[in-house]
Amino acid sequence: MGMTSLPEPVERLAAALGRLPGLGPRSAERLALHLVQSDASQVRSLAQCLLDARDTIAPCSVCGALTQSQPCALCADPGRDDTLICVVESALDVLRIHKAGVFHGRFHVLGGRLSPVSGVGPEDLRLDELEGRVRGGAVREVILALATDVEGDATCHYLARRLAGAGIKVSRIAHGLPAGSGLEFADELTLAHAIEGRREICG
Amino acid sequence: MHLARLRLRDFRNYARLDAEFAPGFHVLLGRNAQGKTNLLEAIYLAATLRSFRGAGGHQLIRHGQQGYFIGARAVGQATREIGIYWSAAERRLTLDRQKVRRLADYLGTLRAVVFCAEDLQLVKGTARVRRRFMDLLLAQTQPGYLAWLLRYLQAVRSRNAVLKRMPLDEALLEGFTDELVRAGEPIIAARQRLVPQLAPLAQSACQSISSAGETLELSYQPQVRGELRAALEAQRARERVRRATLVGPHLDELMLLLQGRPAATFASEGQKRTLALALKMAQAEFLTGAHGVPPILLIDDVMGELDQSRRAGLLPLLERAQHARGQVFMTCTEESWPRELGRALLRWEVAEGALKAVPA
Ligand SMILES: Nc1ncnc2c1ncn2[C@@H]1O[C@H](COP(=O)(O)OP(=O)(O)O)[C@@H](O)[C@H]1O
Ligand SMILES: [Mg+2]
Ligand SMILES: [Zn+2]
Repeated sequence: MGMTSLPEPVERLAAALGRLPGLGPRSAERLALHLVQSDASQVRSLAQCLLDARDTIAPCSVCGALTQSQPCALCADPGRDDTLICVVESALDVLRIHKAGVFHGRFHVLGGRLSPVSGVGPEDLRLDELEGRVRGGAVREVILALATDVEGDATCHYLARRLAGAGIKVSRIAHGLPAGSGLEFADELTLAHAIEGRREICG
Repeated sequence: MHLARLRLRDFRNYARLDAEFAPGFHVLLGRNAQGKTNLLEAIYLAATLRSFRGAGGHQLIRHGQQGYFIGARAVGQATREIGIYWSAAERRLTLDRQKVRRLADYLGTLRAVVFCAEDLQLVKGTARVRRRFMDLLLAQTQPGYLAWLLRYLQAVRSRNAVLKRMPLDEALLEGFTDELVRAGEPIIAARQRLVPQLAPLAQSACQSISSAGETLELSYQPQVRGELRAALEAQRARERVRRATLVGPHLDELMLLLQGRPAATFASEGQKRTLALALKMAQAEFLTGAHGVPPILLIDDVMGELDQSRRAGLLPLLERAQHARGQVFMTCTEESWPRELGRALLRWEVAEGALKAVPA
């Protein structure tokens, strides 16, 4: 039960913000209320930032990471090792692994993982691009750095099969949560549901 | 282990309850619809964070209120204070006033086994009910089991989705088959170890409860004997027609044999009740063995359904549970309460969401 309804433009703003990842309806509403009460010039510059960022950033044509120039700085850097490709799910993973500073090869962003239950199949991932790079010749090892849940692991099995025969090594590093140990409270609750789902018929 | 203190605020028909409980055998007496089962539900919720009646959070909030609170003091090796607050806008779970971040840190603080009318489904119901019985026991005693089970169920769902895609992508199917096999094998192995440990406990409970000394055998029947991968391979053609995963531990059975015959078809109503009780006793004793302390027994409306001789067989088993400073909570009506236990009972009167001790 909320308060009496907000003016329509605020409702619309809250709804738009609520579609952003990590923002629930309540925080979206709070943010919307904050914005419409902020200094107009501040809001205008925020809007400009959004547009600028969106207009100048594009996926790198080689690796799929986010970049302002084509190809991205990591792909263009002559100091990196062309024989190694680290395969990740998202552009954010590239940043994380690059920041850690231990990997000196190239990256490849899949744009997700195989998820049959949400309709994500091989054709939805940047797999042809990966095969093209591997066939290019220089690559000797592909390192898979995907989440260790069922879909991440199945994606790895799938990739290992698909890249077999290319004459390269395919290896795997654990990335994200270790299997079965990092489940968050809320997740475990909903998941525990899977074993103890009873309907109201007792007592 | 025992529940030393229970506080309820706006939970079901309890506006406010503050009660202290000693270890021992508690009987909750009262007419229908007074709040006896609600009280057991609150205790079970503190133990498992779930309602044994399958109710969602909203149903548990007292009508017209915002949220409910359950406070429980659990005394085991240590004394812990549990706090659960639930409303549409907020859920808070605390242990010794600290916010709980991971479920694994919480579960086990309070352990309870509930006996209720629905247990009869363990005998009468589909294999799914008995798989869940095994899974709950394993999840509570084997670190890692729940994680494997969740992975397995997700692998089945994913694999079924792959089988439904047209045209079938063989490489994609293989990828999820690998995951199915990896998670499925430890599940089968764990169930295979569990059942022989459980069987003698169930058998001895069954013999105590049934005056006729009937034998109960538990037999784990994994749907796949031998290698899971080979079994999947053997079903290749059928799976491609039916477009679903047709073999694996999601289809296992725990057979109940009474006097050597399948209980679901051969047992009488009374015998089925006996078997259901025997399975629950076995569950409680298995947990006692695994954790070194008996769980709290919550017994809802069971006495009224039993004939004299079965009551006489069951009560000593329940009494035994309180000896290691354990605790039993049993709901009864005036007609069905176990007078035969006499002075050992701690009696409470439940009326309209209030609890009152009845002097011995
Ligand atoms: N959310 C709720 N708010 C208020 N009363 C409730 C709520 N849920 C159930 N009740 C009441 O609780 C009573 C049933 O309690 P229960 O413990 O099942 O009875 P019994 O004593 O027969 O076991 C009924 O009177 C029902 O109306
Ligand atoms: Mg009841
Ligand atoms: Zn790039």
